[in-house]
Amino acid sequence: MENLIIEETKYTPSINLDAKKGLIELVGKSYPENTFEFYKPMMDWIEEYFNGNELPKTIINFEIIYFNSSSSKLFFDFLDLIEEMANAGKYIEINWIYDKDNDSALEAGEDFKEDFEKLNFILAEK
Amino acid sequence: MEAFENKLIGEIEDLQEKFTKTTQKLIKDVKRQDKIMIRSDKRQQQEYDELQRKFAEVEALQKEIEETQREVVFTMGAIGESRSKETGNHVKRVAEYSKIFALHYGLPKEEAEMLKQASPMHDIGKVAIPDAVLNKPARFNEEERKIMDTHAQLGFDMLKASNRPLLKMASTVAYEHHEKWNGKGYPNKLSGEDIHIYGRITALADVFDALGSDRVYKKAWDDERIFKLFKEERGEHFDPQLIDIFFENLDEFLRVRDSLKDM
Repeated sequence: MENLIIEETKYTPSINLDAKKGLIELVGKSYPENTFEFYKPMMDWIEEYFNGNELPKTIINFEIIYFNSSSSKLFFDFLDLIEEMANAGKYIEINWIYDKDNDSALEAGEDFKEDFEKLNFILAEK
Repeated sequence: MEAFENKLIGEIEDLQEKFTKTTQKLIKDVKRQDKIMIRSDKRQQQEYDELQRKFAEVEALQKEIEETQREVVFTMGAIGESRSKETGNHVKRVAEYSKIFALHYGLPKEEAEMLKQASPMHDIGKVAIPDAVLNKPARFNEEERKIMDTHAQLGFDMLKASNRPLLKMASTVAYEHHEKWNGKGYPNKLSGEDIHIYGRITALADVFDALGSDRVYKKAWDDERIFKLFKEERGEHFDPQLIDIFFENLDEFLRVRDSLKDM
């Protein structure tokens, strides 16, 4: 399966999806003009990955400093999908990486952790 | 009949089940949407606060830079003056006079304020003039006069490389404050409006203050003598419009002079 790499822009995070390492990584800010269109390739890739291409252990690194409300909605959908996969027996670890000076990033991570109790959701200070 | 009724009920129950599922999903979605909105609002508020904090920081830094620049410029002017044994108050007065001229001439407030800060540097070139010439307690001979007159060019050369607006302005002031309206000044014998307004203003402000102060080579002139000279030099040494501004707003200039007397 091909990797998917999207470079960071002023308004969108860098996305690094590596099937061979079992790594899903988002780093940066998320203010896309059309959020669902922007993340569609990532969501498609993830579905394909978990459709038999996944490694025994998948790591998801989330390092989003700032994001808008439609990104927040998308992250919910994303975590729904991940939860579905975890429920189906896939081993997935999620790291919510935040800077210790960024309270709002930490709080956002805490909120997601609370909403997805069944996920292996780790708050990781940088 | 009974069988038919049962079938209908079955269909309705089916519908009811689908309806419940759909509405439950809708309720879940709406709840989630509300949650997202509340959290986003909260986050945005925090981010807004953070931005405001950073803006305030930048503003404070900018003020700090401006203050520093002001002080450096003022101190440089004072250094130039102190070498020729003039008091710090001379540069302060020239600064205030220049601002008054600038405002009445019609320059924007910010530009007038800048000129107030830049005009004290008009004599900065004097730091490069030898003491023996600079502080000679008698009239200059021709050779000494030539050396003394280079201070305009020297000041300009010191400041001209800067890209800072205030220092650029100061370089113009230093360069042109000895030009005369009639073209008989130095270093470039510019005349009329070819002399930058900054130069014309500082020239008059400087002379007004110098004539009214004791110097190593002369006593202070009384006001009548100064006013007479200004009337004679209107359109000769000085920009006629500025001389008019001077007499029309004399009380303003005299107030500044009184409040910044030499000790």
